Amino acid sequence: MSEDLKKKVKELIVRQLKLEMDPATIADDAPLFGDADGGLGLDSIDALELVLGVEKEFGIKVQDEEVGVKAFASVNALCEFVRGKAA
Amino acid sequence: MDFQPLPHAFPFRFADGVVERTGPAQGRVRASVTANAAAVRATGFPSAALAELVAQSALLLEGGDSALGRKGFLAGISDFVVERLPEPGDVLTVDVAIAGRLGDTVKFEGVVRDAEGGAIARGAVTVKQGSA
Repeated sequence: MSEDLKKKVKELIVRQLKLEMDPATIADDAPLFGDADGGLGLDSIDALELVLGVEKEFGIKVQDEEVGVKAFASVNALCEFVRGKAA
Repeated sequence: MDFQPLPHAFPFRFADGVVERTGPAQGRVRASVTANAAAVRATGFPSAALAELVAQSALLLEGGDSALGRKGFLAGISDFVVERLPEPGDVLTVDVAIAGRLGDTVKFEGVVRDAEGGAIARGAVTVKQGSA
């Protein structure tokens, strides 16, 4: 998977959620939601912010919560989702 | 046993009703700042209440009822700027437009205006639809 896209997605997450962390420290496969070890511990409010960020950055609309939950599971999942929509 | 919530009164209810609908979850809501409101008497109208007003306005436009409840609650505030606080007797209007939605989580942009149309507060609120 494109490292450029992963970098872009990580920067988007940090910028959109106003996180105080280095985007590079987000693991590609770490869960974005929930309290699992290594995860970011995001919640549904953050998910909506990511939806708005993805729409702005990539021009992709996400309105179905089920799709959103899968797409935002991890950086890898979000990259797959963006690549799938772009294809 | 079914729980039937009592109607909320001021200081919990700020938005009076929908004045105009301009699109899905978009429109204008009226809010009267009453002189006998406890919040106004004691400490003045709190800044945070303006964000709550935008949320209540948004939920009214989403189909809530001003007397019986708004089918949701304020869950987040972002980039909210207050230029001035309203005073008793002010009649405010709130222009609200949807910014994004994911399931029952909805973000709205809102502008609170005074009777002359000047913006006294603006910003975004996120609401969760349904019960807390």
